[in-house]
Amino acid sequence: MRAPRAQIALAAVALVLGLLVVVQLRAQTAGSGLGELSAQELTILVANLNQRNDQLRTEIATLEGEAADLASGQAQGATSVGQLEQDLARVRAWAGLDAATGMGIRVTVDGPIPGTAVEDVINELRNSGAEALAVAGVRVVPGSVVAGPPDSLSVENTALDDPFEISAIGNPEALTGALTRAGGLVAQLGATHPDVSIVVIPVDRLELPATLRTLVSEHGRPRL
Amino acid sequence: MNGPIARVRALPSWQVTLGVALLALGFLIAAQLQSEGPRVRYTTQEREPLIQTALGLQAQQDQLKERILAARGTIAGLEQSGQGSAALVRELNQGLEEARTAAGLVPLVGPGLVLRLEDSEQAAPPGQAGSDYLVSARDVRSIVEELCLAGAEAVAVNRERVTVTTAILDIGGSVLVNSAYLAPPYDVAAIGPADLYKRLSESTGFVDFVRARAEAFGIRLRFAELPDVVVPAYAGSVTLRHARPVTGETTQ
Repeated sequence: MRAPRAQIALAAVALVLGLLVVVQLRAQTAGSGLGELSAQELTILVANLNQRNDQLRTEIATLEGEAADLASGQAQGATSVGQLEQDLARVRAWAGLDAATGMGIRVTVDGPIPGTAVEDVINELRNSGAEALAVAGVRVVPGSVVAGPPDSLSVENTALDDPFEISAIGNPEALTGALTRAGGLVAQLGATHPDVSIVVIPVDRLELPATLRTLVSEHGRPRL
Repeated sequence: MNGPIARVRALPSWQVTLGVALLALGFLIAAQLQSEGPRVRYTTQEREPLIQTALGLQAQQDQLKERILAARGTIAGLEQSGQGSAALVRELNQGLEEARTAAGLVPLVGPGLVLRLEDSEQAAPPGQAGSDYLVSARDVRSIVEELCLAGAEAVAVNRERVTVTTAILDIGGSVLVNSAYLAPPYDVAAIGPADLYKRLSESTGFVDFVRARAEAFGIRLRFAELPDVVVPAYAGSVTLRHARPVTGETTQ
């Protein structure tokens, strides 16, 4: 291949080819999804990510502090029993293995509401920082799903009465605000299910029972 | 040395290479055009700094999650090698191991299903909401709910573990799970009993979902039954700010 024109042509084709391969590959990565968001959505995402990252940093600080305490304690020959007991109690309460108590809200749901709409309420409460949830006295854990057609709802083989209550432990203002804000979930359900009434009240002290479900997987084993 | 065959054989090799390259170019152009489906494109300039910020924050989030997993590993190691009454420490560590597994803090592997949700390939007819043709947070939640009802013991969405505090939300045409930004396709992985898919496909809720979303709007749903589905550990906050254990009812 001695003609310089032919070489230039091949180089140009190779360049465009390479560019398109890169663009196509980049289109496969998750980051390119951001290209489809509007400025407002990106702002919401950035706020969300910032909040999340702050929570993660707090968690890391707590964990690294614990690790440092444990390490220095052991260096001095101290026991780790106290730390173990605290950890155990916290993880069990978080996971729903033990009863939990704290301030929060009570949501009274009255009327023909489908299971998916109740799950939407639970999802919104989780998004607003609910640390423990129960529906009609049944602790909500992964695997608990409120299911069924309106007037025939159940959660974990417990039939729900009409009305029934959802209890959530967390910041009462944040939880109430998330549900009752203008255009929020209560307003949306008011439009799609006008016969359903949802009343949210803050509560100083809630006590949610432990779950009755088995949470340790029967078919899964820890992946080392 | 005359005739068509002789002329073909006489083509210089660079011309053949160029021809192949142009062919590949054509395919890639076609693929690029085709991949720009019904998703909306925005082109205002102010978004670029926001996109860079979001990408940076996501990269930070990934690093922070790695540090959390590492710190938990360190603590587990230190607790296990700790002193104090050996029997009590052993008992507490075992309890912690079980509690962490129950809470979703331990990655699991086992038989189960992976369900893949993808946006519809159909374009929205004029006057209809394009968002109906995209996988929504509601769609992802429906699949997670149906899997749980069918007996799934551990679930993750694009490697985000579903836990007691997991919220799944819409953001633009994508979703947030555990506040992590996920783009389609969404792989919902579940570990469970051998008849998990059978129970799923027989559930009214799942059948309704397929009818309302896949058949009506072309949301694509594929699945694979696998012997070694991996459901990763939850790498998020397990701190309780308002809730506390009820004393007197915990194991001692």
